[in-house]
Amino acid sequence: MLYCDHYHVPQTLDEAFDLIQINHDRHKVLAGATDLLPWAREGRAGDVNFEAVIDITKIADLSKWELHGSRVSLGANVTMSQLLNNPFLRKHIPIMAKSAIWFADDQIREQATLAGNLINASPAADSTPPMLAMNAEIILDRKLNGKFMQRKMSLDEFVTGPGKTKLEEGELLTRVICDSMPEYGSAFEKVGHRRSLVISTVCLAALIRLTEDGTKFKDVRLALGGTGPVPVRLHESEACLINQTVETELINKSANLAIKHVNSRTRQDYRREVVFNFVKRGIMEAIKDFNKACTEIKNDIQPGIDHG
Amino acid sequence: MISNQGLTMASFEIQMTVNGREVRQPVSPHLRLLDFLREELHWTGSKEGCGAGECGSCSVFVDGVLMKSCLMPVAKAQHTEIETIEGLEEQGKLSVLQQAFQKMGASQCGYCIPGMMMAATAALKTNPHADREEIKERLGGNICRCTGYQKIFDATELARDVMNDKLPTKTLEEETEQESYIGSSSFRLDTSGKVTGALKYAGDMVMPQMLHMQVLRSPFPHAEILEIDTSDAEAMSGVEAVVTCIDVPGIDGFGVFKDDQPVLARDKVRYVGEAVAAVAAEDLITAKDALKRIKVQYKQLPVLTKPEEAIKTGAAIVHDDVPDNIVMHIPIRKGNVEKAMIESDYVIEESYYTQPVEHAYLEPEAGLAYLDSDGTLVIQSPSQNITHHRHKLAKILDMPVNKVRMIMSAVGGGFGGKEDMHYQGILALAVLKCRRPVRYVFTREESIIASAKRHPFSINYQLGLNRDGLIQASRIHMLSDAGAYNCSTEGVMRKAAILGAGPYAIENLMVDAIGVYTNNTPNGAMRTFGAMQSQFATECHLDLCAETLKMDPVELRRINFLRQGDETHTRQKLESVSMLEVFDSALDISQWESGISNSRGATRSDLGLSGNRPPCTLGARQFQHETVSAGQSA
Amino acid sequence: MNAPLRKYSRHKRGRGVAAAWYGIARTATIDRAGAWAELDDGGTAKIITGVTEIGEGILTVLAQIAADELGIRPQDVTIGDNDTARSPEAAHAGATRQTYMIGNAVALACREARKRLVKELAHEWEIAEDDINCSNRMVSTVDKSRCITMSEAVDICKNKGVVPVGSGSFTANHTGLDPEDGSGSPWQAYVYGAQVAEVEVDTETGEVQVLGVWASHDVGRAVNPQGVEGQIEGGVVMAVGQTLMEDYKQADGYPSTMNLAKYILPTSLDVPQVTSAIVEDPDPLSPLGVKGIGEPSMIPTAPAIINAIYDAVGVRIHSLPATPEKVLAALRDKQKSADSEEMQAQSF
Ligand code: FES
Ligand code: FES
Repeated sequence: MLYCDHYHVPQTLDEAFDLIQINHDRHKVLAGATDLLPWAREGRAGDVNFEAVIDITKIADLSKWELHGSRVSLGANVTMSQLLNNPFLRKHIPIMAKSAIWFADDQIREQATLAGNLINASPAADSTPPMLAMNAEIILDRKLNGKFMQRKMSLDEFVTGPGKTKLEEGELLTRVICDSMPEYGSAFEKVGHRRSLVISTVCLAALIRLTEDGTKFKDVRLALGGTGPVPVRLHESEACLINQTVETELINKSANLAIKHVNSRTRQDYRREVVFNFVKRGIMEAIKDFNKACTEIKNDIQPGIDHG
Repeated sequence: MISNQGLTMASFEIQMTVNGREVRQPVSPHLRLLDFLREELHWTGSKEGCGAGECGSCSVFVDGVLMKSCLMPVAKAQHTEIETIEGLEEQGKLSVLQQAFQKMGASQCGYCIPGMMMAATAALKTNPHADREEIKERLGGNICRCTGYQKIFDATELARDVMNDKLPTKTLEEETEQESYIGSSSFRLDTSGKVTGALKYAGDMVMPQMLHMQVLRSPFPHAEILEIDTSDAEAMSGVEAVVTCIDVPGIDGFGVFKDDQPVLARDKVRYVGEAVAAVAAEDLITAKDALKRIKVQYKQLPVLTKPEEAIKTGAAIVHDDVPDNIVMHIPIRKGNVEKAMIESDYVIEESYYTQPVEHAYLEPEAGLAYLDSDGTLVIQSPSQNITHHRHKLAKILDMPVNKVRMIMSAVGGGFGGKEDMHYQGILALAVLKCRRPVRYVFTREESIIASAKRHPFSINYQLGLNRDGLIQASRIHMLSDAGAYNCSTEGVMRKAAILGAGPYAIENLMVDAIGVYTNNTPNGAMRTFGAMQSQFATECHLDLCAETLKMDPVELRRINFLRQGDETHTRQKLESVSMLEVFDSALDISQWESGISNSRGATRSDLGLSGNRPPCTLGARQFQHETVSAGQSA
Repeated sequence: MNAPLRKYSRHKRGRGVAAAWYGIARTATIDRAGAWAELDDGGTAKIITGVTEIGEGILTVLAQIAADELGIRPQDVTIGDNDTARSPEAAHAGATRQTYMIGNAVALACREARKRLVKELAHEWEIAEDDINCSNRMVSTVDKSRCITMSEAVDICKNKGVVPVGSGSFTANHTGLDPEDGSGSPWQAYVYGAQVAEVEVDTETGEVQVLGVWASHDVGRAVNPQGVEGQIEGGVVMAVGQTLMEDYKQADGYPSTMNLAKYILPTSLDVPQVTSAIVEDPDPLSPLGVKGIGEPSMIPTAPAIINAIYDAVGVRIHSLPATPEKVLAALRDKQKSADSEEMQAQSF
């Protein structure tokens, strides 16, 4: 069980930071709670007691999203369900919907947040590979002696190991910023032991843009999860395709280059084979998705207003 | 992170609407919405199946949105409107969906149903025209262990059609007046309490002056207990009693076939999760805290985890009175196997393995025990065997049998797993010591590690056949892990042995089923009691043989089936045998295409016929009609 | 529902079949169950027995049996159960024994209660007991010249100072096994089952989806067909879990799958469509002819699935569960041996 003496629900970032400061090392920041509560149970962390739990989900600023040029800025409280259902988000970062549908179930998606999934830094986190593929950066805020300070780093840099990130004491992950990619074809591949409420054994995010005549790769983004201590971007596999003609041989080569990223503690043979198949399949599916979507859509939704 | 000791918790005022009623009261901040609803407000319709978001038995509406209340700190529900299963009825009348669940027989044990009903309600609310595949997706967070889901899907579809006026309301009604009720699908008598959440399971029950029990469990698979010091725990305020094996007044020991398991570990522990001591206290937190203050000194012993090793001479011994670790060996012998194998045209051999399996009944074990005014000890628990448990307990407590009263509370699934009396004895000791009602509710984790599993089997199979496919001889050797205690091992070995060679006429037979003690979680009764393990091997092996013989596997079975007047493997003459009829019926309803080789999937013409569901593509509901979301720049 | 075949070649389909048998009630030992019955005011009835309903629907089955025997409706029957201080022994919920053992005990108890009632009425009407019928909540003479409600009949009986009660005890005479050769008659009644499974294997991930199961089971006389189907569907799905995903794991005696995130159960998206066929071969040795279904429903499923996987992709899985890893590894091995055969063939 998760025990606490006080449960705080700050309404603004400022309030949150004050609470963090007052309770400095005796607090726990909580958003969706969908990972924290199961963690505080027998066989995992067991009973855990904090003096203060600081629930940041009511901080309005953190629930918003905006388009800044070619980048989308997502507040830390954006939920999996919003990624799945919100038309604006589905237009700009369609791959997140494809990954979110695999995330837990309808109910948990209502509570679970994108930021929470990233911070947990599970090697199998479903949101990390697509975010890596979209060149995500994260914003870390803190308040020290009345002064706001901010750090910004790539997601790649942020996640350092299983359950480990560069988040420091007193810092809050406030925003996730990634490329807006409406003109890409995308695919999300995942395998686990069942088809709902399931943890990935391997998952892959693929984003593809072809040249106008459809014969060459203009851009390719690939990232992998579940295969090692941290999800990884497949730079070599991408590089071998970009500006090249779309052909099976080359896609196989790209898939082959991904295999070496498998360094999980278990089931390595299995993962290698699946990684090869997923990269191949992910690319093909993303191309299909790209081709299917050949008419431009106009979407009138204004950023930051519609919250699903 | 701070330890729990000396915990003080500030409460705060919560305000919400629950099933239409205003609620405003102080709560402790550590409560989850589920705890608040169940323990504080006594809306016990919502259940706790796992406490970790994995089962959905706690699903409720929070401001109209379906959520898992075990994952929600109560503070998150501040100023919300909550609706639970108890809020679904309209003016005392079952909702259409509740009626449909009743009509289709969609609830069995009923423990998942409150959550399932909420999820199904949400599904039709979100999309009143949801098709079966979408319904499945929307129920994807709710586990049911009993029904196989099919009747739940059927019921949801029925409700949808009635709500959309595609079917008349009377479709939901029962056909009442009938000539004969045997052979009719009458409504389940217990169904309305299950679809409304009114039915109380043991964990839902409370009594005045009730204490809460928690159990200290072994952290080691095999260890000697040098000392148990309970004094600190006993000294805590709020602790009424600490019990250990020394509190057993009678002859300690329970089991289904042999009483080899003490109520609380005596002298040594034999598996991780074995009960060692228990605390009864005024509240759950105090009881948990007290457990941390019980000091047990262990001396670890060599651990046995593989049956193959446990039967070797010189292996560690799990129970002193069974030095070879063999719990039970059931042999079956018929004819002359040696000779028949030599004379067979083919002798085909293969090995098979089946794994240990958790029953995963959705209701974790729970019990409420108290003394009646006349001194009778009463235990209400989801016991699958109240008669047997009463006898065992009377012996353990040294009480007359009629002074021990076992009442089976509603069982939220059993599947054999609730045949073992693995906590009722502890409750009894606590009640006798404090003379107050005591309740004990397992967590899911506790339920999994403490209770018995399905026996894993390693099976070596040899079948002698003639060219025409007639079985000449069968030799089956089964080695099974009993785990730390006998539980039902003896019976499981017997059933595995008797039925293992399958419903076939076999003249020459040699079957051995051997169950062995190890320091693994005990294995016990589970649906089929060994018969699915042994017959798994048989039925896989027959297909292998058919391939070797280049025969149709259907034909191979047919010519060997037991027929009326045949003798079974235990030489019992059978009066009536429906095997052929049943087999042909299965082929018939599946429109099975017969054929020789049995790896012909690519060429069969009977695939994809009616009776299949479509393959699951997750997100079908989201992406199938998706309009264009990306595009080449125009 | 007709499911279209997938076009992608990575998905392969196949079918498998398996048969099974099972014995009803306690094994190789005598089994017994008791029940009390009372025809009660208002034409209702009380059945008291130590039955333990664990979700299978046994209470409903007993009410149907009582209704049939007494000539009333299931909803008129109140069942007092599951209390060792208040009800006669009916022993445990297991061994697929409750419908068979307790069902027959209830039938016997009801017959006795009904006989008490009928005796008083026969006396009142001055006719033979055999000339009285109880059905549809009415008690009548065979020629229908007299016809009263069950409620009235109970009144008449009670006014004569007789409470129409009865008791029943049912025995299954099983014998133990010989310790040397295992010979014996462990059960009186046997049931048989057979299932066909259709699977789709994803050859790129090793995932297996069971799309359809056709299950045919002899259950003896079926008391509640919908309940029987429920047992079949539940049994099949429990077996699908064991066949494909469930695995209780321990390392050196320490369990590592102690919650439902680690111990994987089938969800609504993992289960096949199940088509059931009930075959009724009544048991000749007991009053009702009923047998049972709870356990045997899950026996043929696992081998039917495993045989179907072989049919689809040509690999035999010998150890459960058939996880994606295992299936993919088997496919890889098969590919390797095919390659090496080819190489050998080329080198000659
Ligand atoms: S999901 Fe809440 S109790 Fe299982
Ligand atoms: S009826 Fe669903 S778990 Fe028992």
